[in-house]
Amino acid sequence: MASDPQSAANQRIVEDLVSRLRRRQLVGSRATALETLLVLRQVVSKARFSNIDQLVNIIRSVGRRLVDAQPKEHSVGNTVRKVLHHIREEYHTANEQPAAESSFSIAKFVLQGQPRKQATIPSSESRVLLKENDPDDPDSFARVLKPVLMEAIQDVFDELETVYDNISKNAKDHIHSDEIILTLGMSKTVDSFLKAAAHYRNYTVIVAETAPSYGGREMAKSLSSAGISTFLVPDSSIYALMSRVNKVILGAHAILANGGMFATSGSLLAATAARSYSTPVVVCAGQFKLTPLWNLYHEYGALDFGDPSAVLCFDEGDLVDKVDVVNPYYDYVRPELLDVFITN
Amino acid sequence: MDDFQIYKSYQRLLKNEDLSTPLAAILALTEMMEQSNAGTMFELLTELKGAAEALSRQSLNPIGLKAGCELFIEFITLFPHDAASFSELKTELIRQGQRYAEQALAYRAKIAELAFDFIKDDSVVSSGFMFIDWHDEIDLHIQILTHSYSRVVLQTLLVAHKRKRISVFVTEARPRGMGIKTAEMLTAAGIPCTVVLDSAVAYAIDKVDFVLMGSEAVVESGGLVNAVGSNQIAIIAKAANKPFYALAESYKFHRMFPLSQYDLPSHNPGVLSFPQTMSARARPASSGLPSKASSVLSDNGSPIRITQEDIARNNPDVDYTRPDLISLVFSDVGSLTPEGVSQYLVGMFAG
Amino acid sequence: MPVPEPESASAESQSLTKAQKKAEGRARQEQQRAAKAAQKQQQQSGQNAGSSSNKSKGSTVQKKPASESNKIPSAAASSSKDAPTTREGAVGADGLSDGPKSRGLRIFSHFGLPKTPGHQIKGDIHPAIVKLGLQFSEFKICGANARCIATLTAFKTVIQDYVTPPHNTLSRHLMTHLSPQITHLVTARPMSVTMGNAIRQLKLEISGSDIDLPEQDAKDALCQEIDNYIRDRIIIADEVIEDLAVKKIKDGDVVLTYARSSLVEKILLRAHALNKRFSVIVIDSRPLLEGKTLLHSLTSVIPPIPCTYALLPALPSLITDADIVLLGAHSLHANGSVYSRAGTAMVAMLAKEHSVPVMLCCETYKFSETVMLDGFGKNELAPMKFSPDAPKSNSNLEVLNPLYDSTPASCITAVVTEVGLIPPTSISSIPLALGRTTL
Repeated sequence: MASDPQSAANQRIVEDLVSRLRRRQLVGSRATALETLLVLRQVVSKARFSNIDQLVNIIRSVGRRLVDAQPKEHSVGNTVRKVLHHIREEYHTANEQPAAESSFSIAKFVLQGQPRKQATIPSSESRVLLKENDPDDPDSFARVLKPVLMEAIQDVFDELETVYDNISKNAKDHIHSDEIILTLGMSKTVDSFLKAAAHYRNYTVIVAETAPSYGGREMAKSLSSAGISTFLVPDSSIYALMSRVNKVILGAHAILANGGMFATSGSLLAATAARSYSTPVVVCAGQFKLTPLWNLYHEYGALDFGDPSAVLCFDEGDLVDKVDVVNPYYDYVRPELLDVFITN
Repeated sequence: MDDFQIYKSYQRLLKNEDLSTPLAAILALTEMMEQSNAGTMFELLTELKGAAEALSRQSLNPIGLKAGCELFIEFITLFPHDAASFSELKTELIRQGQRYAEQALAYRAKIAELAFDFIKDDSVVSSGFMFIDWHDEIDLHIQILTHSYSRVVLQTLLVAHKRKRISVFVTEARPRGMGIKTAEMLTAAGIPCTVVLDSAVAYAIDKVDFVLMGSEAVVESGGLVNAVGSNQIAIIAKAANKPFYALAESYKFHRMFPLSQYDLPSHNPGVLSFPQTMSARARPASSGLPSKASSVLSDNGSPIRITQEDIARNNPDVDYTRPDLISLVFSDVGSLTPEGVSQYLVGMFAG
Repeated sequence: MPVPEPESASAESQSLTKAQKKAEGRARQEQQRAAKAAQKQQQQSGQNAGSSSNKSKGSTVQKKPASESNKIPSAAASSSKDAPTTREGAVGADGLSDGPKSRGLRIFSHFGLPKTPGHQIKGDIHPAIVKLGLQFSEFKICGANARCIATLTAFKTVIQDYVTPPHNTLSRHLMTHLSPQITHLVTARPMSVTMGNAIRQLKLEISGSDIDLPEQDAKDALCQEIDNYIRDRIIIADEVIEDLAVKKIKDGDVVLTYARSSLVEKILLRAHALNKRFSVIVIDSRPLLEGKTLLHSLTSVIPPIPCTYALLPALPSLITDADIVLLGAHSLHANGSVYSRAGTAMVAMLAKEHSVPVMLCCETYKFSETVMLDGFGKNELAPMKFSPDAPKSNSNLEVLNPLYDSTPASCITAVVTEVGLIPPTSISSIPLALGRTTL
């Protein structure tokens, strides 16, 4: 494999993304999802394989390296899983096996429930025949399947491209006139959601600064430039203002299998404060953030820590030596604190 | 009077079945005062404080006793000095202490009357269940202490039984198992009662109308300190929306503020510790012995046996019930909310 | 990167429903993109609404946003049930109207604007008060205790320099002399509850001072009273509180605190002096970042107290490590709620959730007989100098830095006062706190 010039090129683009992920030059779930998809498309288009297992293995190994580079960036893994799913699906449709369909076993019953009267289209129609492991022409399999796969990847692409619009399209049903919304951090999803609602509704947003990244400041600038009445407050006043807030709208980093989520640190505080005032908490997130994982480390958000100098800068020289500084990136928010997820 | 003597007189007093620890402590202190040759108020107070200290040091569970000592010393400190001589004042103080102990015995009847009003009349069908956790004082003389302490709940139940039909669940209350004793006494009085396991409280709670709990001390937060298990019963009662009533004579009100279970004076590192040394200890003794086939074996082949005593040693005797779990506290000063208790205590001591 | 050729896609959609759906989805997405582009164009041109609705054919669901944003009043009103303000919303979105802002301002108007230093001096203000006013408004003197002590000390100077005008008595006239001084301080920064309580006590002393006393003696007596007040209600009270609170810190404990309370700082230093082995987590937040001052003093003792420092959003990660939470207070209210530095409420809330005991350290003179239901009713804003990096306010954006919040009594385990540990709701039953006993 390594000697192959094409796979060497693949290696290079994978390495490039890996290092950018590792250095945190690439942040934001959607951006990483898009980049991952680009790499996968490249890999698939250049890869040489003669059966489905080879292809799946190639993608898996690429996926593993990307995930290892930044295990907390769940959208990488999600994207890889999604692509794999599409590839398998395309493969199965292209390579229909009526024999397997008809058999009805207990295991299958357990997995899929009652057999449905699905119109299994007779495979007699003109289908491109897939030949796996053809010794004469090892590339024939790839040649036939690749266009289909590229299309599948394109589908994922399109979904990612339009994710903000799709989430925002119902914004006006969630935000009503004269409401006061609290949000925090910088989330593109929430930003576009709020802006979409601003076309129809007249409302006020309170943005918490979200130390130490102060992403809230950016968010406040962006929202106010779109004509939304915006108040920027420090994180400390979330509780004091919560009694006047009608709704808390949060972005997510990843939504987990149990309905909890990883989100910018500060989200848990806001969600807990909202709960004590019975204020609904709405989470806006694209489907690519749905992660089939569980959080085993409830306490330390995602066990991912940022640069301590953002919290206590090195000007405070004498302090830095004596003091432990903690700056976690993410909070884990339990499912019972969240009311609604809005996805595309 | 030295430390040993006061403890002895305290224990002798406790043999009286009607006396609970705070009252016994007060009487022990008055006995000490009788023998004391302190010449000034200051000397007397120092002696009293020393004696109270000695008592709580020698007692395994000093919480109730401390409440009594504290009340008595506070009373003496604030007692108006209008007696002609110090010895007269001392006699007066002793008289006051003894009179209080006598009066205090009547408090239970008063509490029983107060609590009685909260027991719904259900004369047709005996579906009015009461749920009682047996609370026991922990000391060397279990039967006496328990008995005396149990009086307030027992008395309430007996009063209720005379006029209303009640039946009672009594928890076993491990590790002392004093619930069985209560059950026996209730049965003897003709009150239908059943002993439930401590682990079966959640199972039984839906059949119950309310929970009636005695207490060892009522603390300043408005919560109560009582035999271990009270806290979990309170939590279960809260979850099932059942009222949780505590009964306490006012001399059990204690100026103490536990922040958590582990902030109780009875907590020590031995409680809930892991017996790490056990396997090390067992190894040399049992290495040569062939183990019984049925018993669980440890790494080195020696049988592992955990006895009730082992469990009791590692476990707390009392626990702390938070005020927000308590519906009402019946005491001789009235039916108080937990907040009311704390306000009463603050008013009494924080002057 | 070339997009796969369309022929395979069409082959798919012929044979399979799934693929058909997928193709549909793609078509829809493309439509959306088209609609979005159209919308953008529309916004630029700002007119000609009808054409876009014709342009984007097919699924109506996706079309709606595009058409509505193009300000067709009838379409918008019919599609959105409760949107009578659609037009205004759209206008607001253009950034031309400042309607939303003025509405927002109304909610926050009672917070008052942060005072600018060097405000007007009206009337006969004593130089000590002028200086103090400046120190208040610049947050050089900050914290309920420090402000109260500084105020009382300044009043001592004022009283000593005061001469009763002829045909007047000190007990009647001194207060009229002090009133403008107090007003001056209040214009510098809203009065703290502690100052209010102390001044009320001072008024009582002044009106009660003997008319027959020579003026100098009366003034000395008043200064003595002030000294007593500071000593009994603050300094000795603090020492008692330190004793009580230190008992609750055990070896191996992790103490969590928020921002900086002078009292908590003293407690921690005392515990350290008693050779207790404990570590401290300091949680801090903008605008004031007072925790750094606390860190300095905790780490400058020998050996330094092991400290962890984090900002408020990191609190959920650290609260589980804590064994006890120590907090300070600005004032304590009749319903048991605690008015304290903004962020305190969230620390207490989270501690309660993790059943970590919360001890609030507070002298009884901080008690206020008023009821406080939330931190919104009464608050104060920090001056902008504490947020130099924040974006500048404009017609739509306003930067607010509330200084306080209110913690409900249910989140506080115990209040440590000089009369002992009490539940927050019982503070009103302490006669001392009500000022019924004179010292």
